[in-house]
Amino acid sequence: MSNRIRELRAGAGLSQQELALRVGVRRETIVFLEKGKYNPSLRLAHDIAKVFGLPIEEVFRFDDGAGR
Amino acid sequence: MKKTIVIFAVGALVLAGLAAWMLEGRVAGDGWEIATTGLAFVLVGFAAALGLTRLRHRRHGEPAEDELSKRIMTRATSLAYYVSLYMWLFVMSIGDKVALPARSLVGTGIAGMAVVFLFCWLGVRFFGTKNV
Repeated sequence: MSNRIRELRAGAGLSQQELALRVGVRRETIVFLEKGKYNPSLRLAHDIAKVFGLPIEEVFRFDDGAGR
Repeated sequence: MKKTIVIFAVGALVLAGLAAWMLEGRVAGDGWEIATTGLAFVLVGFAAALGLTRLRHRRHGEPAEDELSKRIMTRATSLAYYVSLYMWLFVMSIGDKVALPARSLVGTGIAGMAVVFLFCWLGVRFFGTKNV
């Protein structure tokens, strides 16, 4: 799974800390997400997509067959 | 906040126990005891670092723990359990070969489990945890 969080966050002019506070997680979690070292829960993915005003599938991309 | 208090309280209890043990002069001063005492201090340091991290996050208005920190803890715990099984097998296999009383061997094994957990936690934090 990959994501566009870093790109969208930069576009929205948000710092990692600000995004973390908006979705109720630690800044460290945003760092892990941007580096692709963590896959969020559906709830967190939904909250992040909501901050950017986009559907989940435009923020997170699922690679077919990866990890199966 | 309760968990942070518990972390610091347990750390303080372990430190107090160690201090009492050393002040009573029960430390023989051999290499094995110095190593296990040092290990206990490292583990207390780890607990203190965890507690301080939680406080720092709270000060920044972030939750003391979130889904990532919980997942890291769960993953590290399960991994540490798995590795500990092999560690105990190793301890049992060397049990007859080292001149240590069974109590010391078990104590060292328990301390070893804590060290295994510490390394697993650091490893999961470094490599990340992905479920897909």
